[in-house]
Amino acid sequence: MHHEDTSSQLCVLNTLYRVGSKDENPDHTGFAHLFEHLMFGGSINIKEFDSELQKVGGESNAFTSNDITNYYVTLPANNVETGFWLESDRMLSLNFSQESLDVQKSVVIEEFKERYLNQPYGDIWLKLLPLVYKVHPYRWPTIGKEISHIDNSTLEDVKAFFKRFYCPNNAILSVVGNITFAKTKELVEKWYNDIPSKNIIREPFSQEPKQISSQKETFTANVPLDVIVKAYHCCKRMHKDYYTTDLLCDILGTGRSSRLYNSLVKGKQLFSELDCYLTGDIETGLFIIEGKAISGVNINEAEAAIIDEIERLINKGISIDELQKVKNKAETNIKFNDLGVLNKAMKLAYCEVLGEINLMNTEVDQYTLVKNSDIVSIAKEILNENNCSTIYYLSKK
Amino acid sequence: MNAVLNRLLVPSSKELNNIKIIEGQTITLSNNIDLHYINAGTSEVLKLDLVCDGGIRNQTQNCIATATAAMLREGTKNKSAEQIAEELDFYGSYFQTHCTADDSTITLFCLKKHFASCIPYILDVINDSVFPENELNIYKKNGQQRLMVNKQRNSFLVRRLFYSSVFGEKSPYGTFSEPEDYDNISRENVANFFKYHYKNKVKYLLLSGSVDDSVIKASESVFKRLGKNILEKKGLLSNGKIHDKFFFDNKDTVQSAIRIGRRIVNRTHPDFRKLQILNMILGGYFGSRLMKNLREEKGLTYGIYSGMESYIDDGCFFIETEINNELRNQGIKEIYHEISLLRNELIGDSELNLAKNYLLGSFLRSIDGPFSLADRHKILVDFGFGYDYYYEFINMINQIKSVELRDLANQYLKEKDLSEIIVGKR
Repeated sequence: MHHEDTSSQLCVLNTLYRVGSKDENPDHTGFAHLFEHLMFGGSINIKEFDSELQKVGGESNAFTSNDITNYYVTLPANNVETGFWLESDRMLSLNFSQESLDVQKSVVIEEFKERYLNQPYGDIWLKLLPLVYKVHPYRWPTIGKEISHIDNSTLEDVKAFFKRFYCPNNAILSVVGNITFAKTKELVEKWYNDIPSKNIIREPFSQEPKQISSQKETFTANVPLDVIVKAYHCCKRMHKDYYTTDLLCDILGTGRSSRLYNSLVKGKQLFSELDCYLTGDIETGLFIIEGKAISGVNINEAEAAIIDEIERLINKGISIDELQKVKNKAETNIKFNDLGVLNKAMKLAYCEVLGEINLMNTEVDQYTLVKNSDIVSIAKEILNENNCSTIYYLSKK
Repeated sequence: MNAVLNRLLVPSSKELNNIKIIEGQTITLSNNIDLHYINAGTSEVLKLDLVCDGGIRNQTQNCIATATAAMLREGTKNKSAEQIAEELDFYGSYFQTHCTADDSTITLFCLKKHFASCIPYILDVINDSVFPENELNIYKKNGQQRLMVNKQRNSFLVRRLFYSSVFGEKSPYGTFSEPEDYDNISRENVANFFKYHYKNKVKYLLLSGSVDDSVIKASESVFKRLGKNILEKKGLLSNGKIHDKFFFDNKDTVQSAIRIGRRIVNRTHPDFRKLQILNMILGGYFGSRLMKNLREEKGLTYGIYSGMESYIDDGCFFIETEINNELRNQGIKEIYHEISLLRNELIGDSELNLAKNYLLGSFLRSIDGPFSLADRHKILVDFGFGYDYYYEFINMINQIKSVELRDLANQYLKEKDLSEIIVGKR
């Protein structure tokens, strides 16, 4: 994928590999993310990835999700070839080293502690996911189910993972910035032509059966306030209902003019914070409502108030202005996200992995098409207790 | 067929000696207020900042500056909080307020096509906010709750303790609210703070994005009704400590948050930009000495960074990390070891060249896009500098020598001047 932006003095190479935590063995979770760390530990012909890049003014980072592993390099446009050299070499082969594996295992374990154990409410997702998903690989978080899974990884695992998933036919490269199409094509051919394709064998994973009754779990911890998280199964990112679901989410709980904010934060004052969002994964995702209850408020009552608001929406519907408002917000979000070469490069690659590169230009229209009646029928379909998993995360005191 | 590619051959690279900065422009409106603008980017979006004098340095009671800034969207003489939120959301716009130690900012993000419809709301807010009692009570309760949660984070606690230590609790840079301070916020205090620091006046306006004549004219026609803020700057009290060692026992935690650093010169001093280069090498980027030593070689932490902060009237240098309680002492020893190397040994040519190029590239990233440019421009306005400030910085990066950096380390990074604050399990 290529996009020329002459207003920038930079160039971005974004490389997306079609492998994420959903491709992991359930007894060996967190591996895709650990592997991402190892991609910075030197490749077959280049000892140090980062310093070669920094030498020419570049910078790099990466992230792993349920579905993908995404690497990006930003550098001054006239030094873009260094990016091609580095990215292609680590696609060709890594410099597999036990030392680098040992260090990155410790780093990732510290990351696990810093983000999930050493934060108030930090382990909510470790508890929520296995409640929501019983068989689907989304049941563990990207960081891994437990620290021992990270700790048990061997160099053989690393080699096997690279062999399975890291190759041109499992990757999407987007190049965005102050670079022409002709130059991009020349550099891609020069640096990637000799890297062999591989036969990718994906283990089929179990689909989550339809949830038929409500699920609830309660935890207590040393936190100052009671928290509730409600997770409803919703559609896949590329399902036709995705945009409707997203607008429903905005109407219900995104921002200061949303229904839940007006009625439960401002009106009834049951929550100090209350948010709605979609996980937006490629496979069937989640519609999340999470809130911190006001100290002294009974969590059952707070939950009942959320359910009342959902029922009000289903029974009374929404106004034309209310729908127009969230469509307008969606348009602003999309235009603001398109700022900057890095965002554009990531989005291009992501649209391609979704199988619809045109989304780059047509997303605003997809939102425009949503009708009032669509919102209500999606609310009816997904926002019911039988489709919901609820966690109470309560203050010990 | 091409010749076989030699991957051991490093592609040739170019020096970054031709960095172009899209400079912001300034016009003075008929009411004597400066409107700064940066026309850049490829998207039809705009950001407008109204920079006001409502910073923490002007408050006489804890919490009042941040409360006033936050309460600006909670209702005016003409519109309720709900109406403001609803109507601005209908234009798909975002309205934020932000309060720092030195100033406060009201920000509007919107699509260009809705700009003229949105700015009257901003004028209304800055002229006629009324701070309804009910909304204030909600703010107090929710703010108090947020603070209670934050106070469980080691990283949050260590920052507050550090600033209070190096700047002193009397300095606006070292003063922080406690949950009980929220109880003492009254409508009268907030309204009073508003009257002196916001009502009908701003310091300046800053527009960025797809700025053209129509946008400037629309801004002028709305904001010409404001006056210029001409309050005298108050003198500041600083009673910070030097070489403070403080340990806060937070027994339920698995990692310790650590901050080591000191009060230091700010942007107004010629050494500041050179210290930025030294800071970069020590802990300012992923390839820094601290990151290499503590993360990439020893796996002691997920991350370690150092930074320089420049406020209008003060500044500080800090190193920040989170480390396992058990390995904390080893980590701290390594931090002091890296600082002593900077004082005692010359940085080698290849490391210095790498850091220089990285810093230039990083400067290039910091001026990419209209909003980044606006951030850079704001610094110049606030400190009274011109764009030479950045061009000189580029020259300094190109020309600095190892000897100068070693001398700076000896002058500014002596162990006896550094404070050490830890929050973790003893």
